[in-house]
Amino acid sequence: MSTSTTGAKRLGSSSGNPLIRAEGIWKIFGKNADRVIGTADAELSRAELRTKTGCVAAVRNVSFEVWPGEVFVVMGLSGSGKSTLVRTLIRLIEPTAGRVEIDGHDVTQASRDELLQLRRHTSSMVFQHFGLLAHRSVIDNVAFGLEVQGKSKAERLARAGEVLKLVGLEDAANQFPNELSGGMQQRVGLARAFAVDPKVMLYDEPFSALDPLIRRDMQDEVIRLQHETGKTMVFITHDLPEALRLGDRIAIMRDGRVVQLGTPEDLVGSPADDYVSNFVRDIPRSHVLTLRWIMREPAAGEADGPTLDVSTTVRNAVPVIAASERPVCAVENGRVVGVVDKEAVLMAIAGEGD
Amino acid sequence: MAVAGAAAQSLPSSLPAPWWRGRPGAAVLVVAGMLLSYFGWKHHWAWPAALEWNSFSPHLDRFQAWLSNNRNLPHPNIAFRIFNGFANFLDDLVSWLTRLFYYLKWSGTTALGTLVVLRFGGRKAALGTLAAFASFATLGLWDNSVQTFALMFAAVGMSLAVGMPLGVLAGRSATFNRAITPILDAMQIVPAFAYLMPVVILFSVGPGAAVVTTMIYAVPPAIRITALGIRGVAPNTVEAATALGATRWQVLSKVQLPLARRMLLLSVNQTILFALSMVVIAGLIGGTGLGDAVTNGLYTDPAFAIFAGAAIVIMAIALDRATEAMANRTDPAQRHLTAHKAHVLRAYTAACALVVVAAVVLGHVFGAGTVWSRWTAQDWLRTYVQRALDYIQNPGTFLFRNLTNPTGNFLVQHGIQPLRTFFIETPWPATFAGLVLIAFLLSGLRRAAIAAAMLFIVGLVGEWANAMDTFSQVLVATVLTVIVGLAIGVWAAESRTVSRVVRPVNDVLQTLPQLVYIIPFIYLMPVSGVPGVVASVLYASPVMIRLVQRGIEDVSPESVEAATSFGATRAQVLLKVKIPLARDAIMLGVNQAIIMVLAVVVIGGLVGSGALGYEVAQGLQRNAFGQGVIASIAILALGIALDRVTQGRGAAGARSES
Repeated sequence: MSTSTTGAKRLGSSSGNPLIRAEGIWKIFGKNADRVIGTADAELSRAELRTKTGCVAAVRNVSFEVWPGEVFVVMGLSGSGKSTLVRTLIRLIEPTAGRVEIDGHDVTQASRDELLQLRRHTSSMVFQHFGLLAHRSVIDNVAFGLEVQGKSKAERLARAGEVLKLVGLEDAANQFPNELSGGMQQRVGLARAFAVDPKVMLYDEPFSALDPLIRRDMQDEVIRLQHETGKTMVFITHDLPEALRLGDRIAIMRDGRVVQLGTPEDLVGSPADDYVSNFVRDIPRSHVLTLRWIMREPAAGEADGPTLDVSTTVRNAVPVIAASERPVCAVENGRVVGVVDKEAVLMAIAGEGD
Repeated sequence: MAVAGAAAQSLPSSLPAPWWRGRPGAAVLVVAGMLLSYFGWKHHWAWPAALEWNSFSPHLDRFQAWLSNNRNLPHPNIAFRIFNGFANFLDDLVSWLTRLFYYLKWSGTTALGTLVVLRFGGRKAALGTLAAFASFATLGLWDNSVQTFALMFAAVGMSLAVGMPLGVLAGRSATFNRAITPILDAMQIVPAFAYLMPVVILFSVGPGAAVVTTMIYAVPPAIRITALGIRGVAPNTVEAATALGATRWQVLSKVQLPLARRMLLLSVNQTILFALSMVVIAGLIGGTGLGDAVTNGLYTDPAFAIFAGAAIVIMAIALDRATEAMANRTDPAQRHLTAHKAHVLRAYTAACALVVVAAVVLGHVFGAGTVWSRWTAQDWLRTYVQRALDYIQNPGTFLFRNLTNPTGNFLVQHGIQPLRTFFIETPWPATFAGLVLIAFLLSGLRRAAIAAAMLFIVGLVGEWANAMDTFSQVLVATVLTVIVGLAIGVWAAESRTVSRVVRPVNDVLQTLPQLVYIIPFIYLMPVSGVPGVVASVLYASPVMIRLVQRGIEDVSPESVEAATSFGATRAQVLLKVKIPLARDAIMLGVNQAIIMVLAVVVIGGLVGSGALGYEVAQGLQRNAFGQGVIASIAILALGIALDRVTQGRGAAGARSES
């Protein structure tokens, strides 16, 4: 994978309407939680609010939009409210305030029936602890979403078989969840979510319970599936490398609020505050930053060197720049927008870890 | 110097207060006060007649007469018609089941039971079931067993029909669960014996009444365990199903019920055991069968009563093992049915059904039902049992002279009798105040207030003396239970070998119906309250042992390790670390033990324990309804009071927090 592909995708997708629109979402747990919003109490810190009213503010005034085909990552430490946030999107947890719109439908105002239809056809979700049904075989687990929709047995088993092939589990169809490794169980979870052919896939820390190597495999799997199917994804994680790998855009949450929302480059290149910069400190900048961040205005006669797309990461640009006597030209849509010389690359690499 | 002075001044306040200034001291003071008033004003101040509601009993009798008159009218009104319909339905259900078993004959019933267990529970459990059926026939108790079976299955079916839906509701709705928990708690405090009279007043004597009493007793565990099973389903599977758009009904039928299957079957297991326990006692109110054989045979035909008791024991163990095996077999995670396996199993089921049909046909051809009830080893066994009984009751034998008789007499002369005299002859205000104060010291103000109200009710209905009599028996039995439970529980926690020996014994003891415990001691120690007391110790000890053992085993290894690292001996670790840290579990054990002891002590009223249990037995045997109900109310009040007093402050705090 490389950021150049995700960057291209982002360009292609920002036209039209957002698939998910979340506006001012609040979730406060506790008695009389709805009375807190709009008062001065809402601005208190979590601990203060808790001692004053006994309520816990899990999500506080979060707004974002997710575009079709985009991978939108919500990142934060445990307790930052990210898992609650993703559940409010399809009202597995009722938001205390705010408005959610998915695919043009107002979710927050939806009737019970509309909500069921939304959950059945528009969205599907992958869970941290898989949530598989221990009493059903793998293929019946994958077919569960279709069964809930009322599809015939032949139809749902055929579809489940297809999806199992997609995730490489066709041989395990008749096994049971407790006979599979954690990674394979989560593949079943993925297949179950894909089987209903949703427009939006919600991932709630799907790989946190897995070993690091398997986690990497599964991330590759998600990237592959995303390429093949072009699904829109909302991905929750507490793992920054995972967020940077998968996300087109990333929202960093802290204490229920979004502290920064931007592309991986934005986060690494210009963190919004100390909290974010602490987070991204250990990330190798050359892996994330693109030429756009280190190029300068071309001086006279410099615009004829070798060319690279402006969205190439510094790391990937190194071989070309090293081999060239002249500064490399960064090109966007066929036009030279800047040049990058060896000094700039060395500075970018030297700046890592500061 | 100034610093040292300040330290010296602040020192006393940081020392713990000596014991006599704390609650233990106050308790000693209360007891001393009671003793003082006993010696000072013995026989004065019995519960005053002015505080007795004497007309309550006749009122109840009139109510019963009115009820039975209105019910037996040629054209009763709608309420009574519904009521009669329900009562008749229960009667019919029992007689229908009895006829079914008779129709299947011994051979068919045995084949049916054994093969069902074989198909769903495995070979070992099936062998046990077969042996049980064979033993019923061998003992010559086939007819009685069938009647007990019919009664029990009717009661179990009804209990599950009521209990499971409520349990599912309680498992899914936190609100409903909160509402129903105190009711279930209360129902479990009431001794089974106290249910009998009120039900007889409503339903009059008969199988229907037996089913209703059994239901009251067996529904709470059905609800509790079902709810536990539903709540035990991993929340993330429910959430996953919801996220895929499953309706509430789909979540229940496709996720929660299948995943809770093992717990649901365990709730059937518990319901069956509770029902059996009660069905046997219900022999007193018109349930026929083994329980009837026990209660009627106790004095007229001891050998026969012992056979019936043995059959009950066998039935309880076989049912427990069979249903437990079935429950464990169906654990959804273990039961991986592929299409092929399902096919094989279907064929297996069909084969089993065929065998049952064949057995029924054979039974009819050879008249197995009647033959078996005549062809038994009863007479042969009877000679041996009678010989054993003669030995036990012969005053000249070693057993009687040196063991059972002295033990029984010791319990009476140094336990029951003095306590009874003390509680009855102490002026009632002193007893009353003393008990309430002790309740306050042990369990706090609210529980003490409830205990006071309950004690007042006991006096109000005119059962003060009887209740104090029962109370003294309960106290002796509880002290014995605590001693036994602590000793064996601690020993089992410390020694793996002991634990291995104790566990299966406990398992068996916990499955047996309450009545069974009393049978051997009627013949072994036939002195006034002793059979009831000893039987109740036997009945309550397993629970006490278990709780003590678990409490001590649950003490965190770090604490033990820390104490050991400071050089504590094993005894020091036990006395200074483990037992103090297991205090909550031990208190819970005392609480449970006292309730279980009360349940059996009142049943002892049937066999000479006197007091409240005797009043109920008299009410049942002589149709003295009012008297019986009043005694039942007193038992209930005493039970609630004892429960509140022993709940302790820790439990109070934990409950009010939750």
